[in-house]
Amino acid sequence: MEVLKSGSELTSSRFGNGLSEIKLEVSHIQKQFDGEEVLKDISFQVRKGEFLAILGLSGCGKTTLLRILIGLEHQDSGSIKKDGKEISKLAPNERGMGIIFQNYALFPNMTVLENVAYALKLKKETKASAKKIALHTLEQIGMSEHLNKKPRQLSGGQQQRVAIARTLAMNPDIVLLDEPISALDVTNREIMKQELKAIQKKFHSTMIFITHEQEEAFYLADRIMVMSEGRMEQLDTPENIFKNPANSFVKDFVVAHLEQKYQSLLKCTGRIS
Amino acid sequence: MRKKRFAYPAVKLLLMILLFISVICPLGMVVATIQVEDIKELIEAGQLGRMLRHSVIVTSIATMISITLALLLAWCINRSRMRWKGVFSVLFTIPMLIPSISHGMGLVILLGDNGILSNWLGIKIPLYGYLGMIMGSVLYSFPVAFLMLTDIFQYEDYTAYEAARVLGLSKAKQFWTITIPNIKKTLISTIFAVFTLIFTDYGVPLVIGGKIVTLPLYMYREVVGQMNVSKGAVIGILLLLPAVVAFALDLKQEETTNSSTITKQYVVLKNKRRDRFAYLFCIVTVIIISLPVLAFLYLSIVKQYPIDNRLSLNHIREAFQLGVGRYLKNSLAIALTTSFIGTAAAYGIAFLTARSKRTWTAQALHLISMVSLAIPGIVLGLAYVLFFRGSWIYGTLMMLVLVNMVHFFASPYLLAYNSLSKFNRNLEDVAATLGICPWHMLKDVYLKCTQKTMLEMFSYIFVNAMVTISAVSFLADFRTMPLSLLIPQFDSQSLIESTAFISIIILTVNGLVKLAVFFLKRTVPDVTT
Repeated sequence: MEVLKSGSELTSSRFGNGLSEIKLEVSHIQKQFDGEEVLKDISFQVRKGEFLAILGLSGCGKTTLLRILIGLEHQDSGSIKKDGKEISKLAPNERGMGIIFQNYALFPNMTVLENVAYALKLKKETKASAKKIALHTLEQIGMSEHLNKKPRQLSGGQQQRVAIARTLAMNPDIVLLDEPISALDVTNREIMKQELKAIQKKFHSTMIFITHEQEEAFYLADRIMVMSEGRMEQLDTPENIFKNPANSFVKDFVVAHLEQKYQSLLKCTGRIS
Repeated sequence: MRKKRFAYPAVKLLLMILLFISVICPLGMVVATIQVEDIKELIEAGQLGRMLRHSVIVTSIATMISITLALLLAWCINRSRMRWKGVFSVLFTIPMLIPSISHGMGLVILLGDNGILSNWLGIKIPLYGYLGMIMGSVLYSFPVAFLMLTDIFQYEDYTAYEAARVLGLSKAKQFWTITIPNIKKTLISTIFAVFTLIFTDYGVPLVIGGKIVTLPLYMYREVVGQMNVSKGAVIGILLLLPAVVAFALDLKQEETTNSSTITKQYVVLKNKRRDRFAYLFCIVTVIIISLPVLAFLYLSIVKQYPIDNRLSLNHIREAFQLGVGRYLKNSLAIALTTSFIGTAAAYGIAFLTARSKRTWTAQALHLISMVSLAIPGIVLGLAYVLFFRGSWIYGTLMMLVLVNMVHFFASPYLLAYNSLSKFNRNLEDVAATLGICPWHMLKDVYLKCTQKTMLEMFSYIFVNAMVTISAVSFLADFRTMPLSLLIPQFDSQSLIESTAFISIIILTVNGLVKLAVFFLKRTVPDVTT
């Protein structure tokens, strides 16, 4: 029982207070690649301002799900509604969503400022206002000192921040993050985790976050969706998942993993015998 | 409304059809032209077997020497601490800047019956025949092998060698158990590439082959001299074979090759004796390479070698009177147009195949873009004669531009494809979500990042269009003829000094272009990450 309590302390649930408006409603999404079913009847809702983590092993379909949400792939069946409106037929840039990839995908020839301002300029913002928005976003994200550097002059964490600023500058309703901190080293991961939390608060954005690391999900998310082999195994708050895993997969993949990982730690502190 | 993702199937299909018409259809015509009687006649007279034997002997020996030489030079450049490595690497590629036939001419001028070296040293060697052909072919082909092999030496992982040293393995053992397996794939590709290059060249045998007739030389004589296209077609198919094998091999390799990561750059240890040997070897090679060039120069500016060795501009004046200026204009027009259009076309197609969704059309387009690697120029030339004869484009400069473009398409295409493939694979996805269209990505990101690659493509096509005598040989007439084709013509009229002067002109033009590209490349960025 001590273990359980420690586990839930780890998650510090913030979910449930004033998050009622449904931002995204996904119903019965199915997808096949070459006859193989990669997504099996996925349905869930995301509330405004919520931080949802999709947790699963590689190949479980979580990236495909994310790509379908933003329109880089198309579902075979099922619907995606944002603010009550069907968006499945919209182009990726018309869905009011932004995506951040694990490997940053910055424009290599452009400076930090140009990277963030480029899409804004093309969006028929005036040059001045594009620059203003870009500067403002970069400032909020703590990259003001590096405006004229090229991506290759930046560290991984800094590049990731530019990628985040580039997405946030477009003012999306929902931000999707595809394993955004997996490519960073351990120290930067911790920093980036905290920053992601801070950024979400600052921008009041709704975030959907993909990860294969249990700790990341438990640390960041209001709710976690556990996926395996294209199926949604459980969707609940970290606390509830830990207390009541829906099936043996969730129990093994999430609960047992965390228990094992923190057992030695807890032993050292004398909290379990 | 859902916009189409960046895939452009219609564009790709259209391009595929265009490439199909300009590559596959003409080749089909070659096959269709073949008559059974011709094959029978060639076999029964024993001619085919004899020519095949000649070709195989010359090509095999020359390939072996060429590869060995290139391996040694690549080793000297990458595995020693001698000085002037950069300069040597550039000098080794000079033979690529003149036509194959010039290498034959150079040997004749140096070592022929009245050659400069023969007279000076008082020697007489049986140059005409196997010996000359092998020497000329080696000179013509080793730079290609050197360029292919030096690359692989550069990217060898050092950790295996460190381990070998710790275990006390001898140098020889290291070479056979580490180096050879490491370079095996590239070595095989290089052997095939060089073999094909020599096997299909008629330039060297034409001037130095004597009584020994090889397959491409026979084909050239049949088509140009006798207008006997159907016999030419039979030989053409034979010439196609090694190139097709090489192509299939390369394709297979591309599938299996995964870019291995280098954990440690090769460290060249101190060794004075090795460095001295490498330096000496490179110096000797450079001297051998420069001898023909110096001979061309000398012959162009003396009155009448060996009778009257006073300086004179007579031969140069004579050459211009014979129309060298006009043909130089043709050459420049063809080379410039081909390199501009060729670079743009190869880059555009590479952009589609490397950066758009991997559909079957993209893969088919990729494959067909590389096919020209498998078609010897002389076969492509014959195919174009058969396919385009009678059409409006036949007999125009545009015909020569088109045939060169197709002939030299694959290499620049692969340069662009490899360069564009290196970019982050998520860039298109990011662009799609930010509302940046592919055209803007091309204009504002890729073109700006890959200017070095484009310059490289441009200079590759330009230089090759200047030196080629293969694909253009059957298609050019007296109005459209490029300068390089004037060499066989002048040679047949025994205007040796004029051919020497033409070689110098081509070398100078190509050298200048290479130099310009070298300096331009230093001013532009090349960023992919």
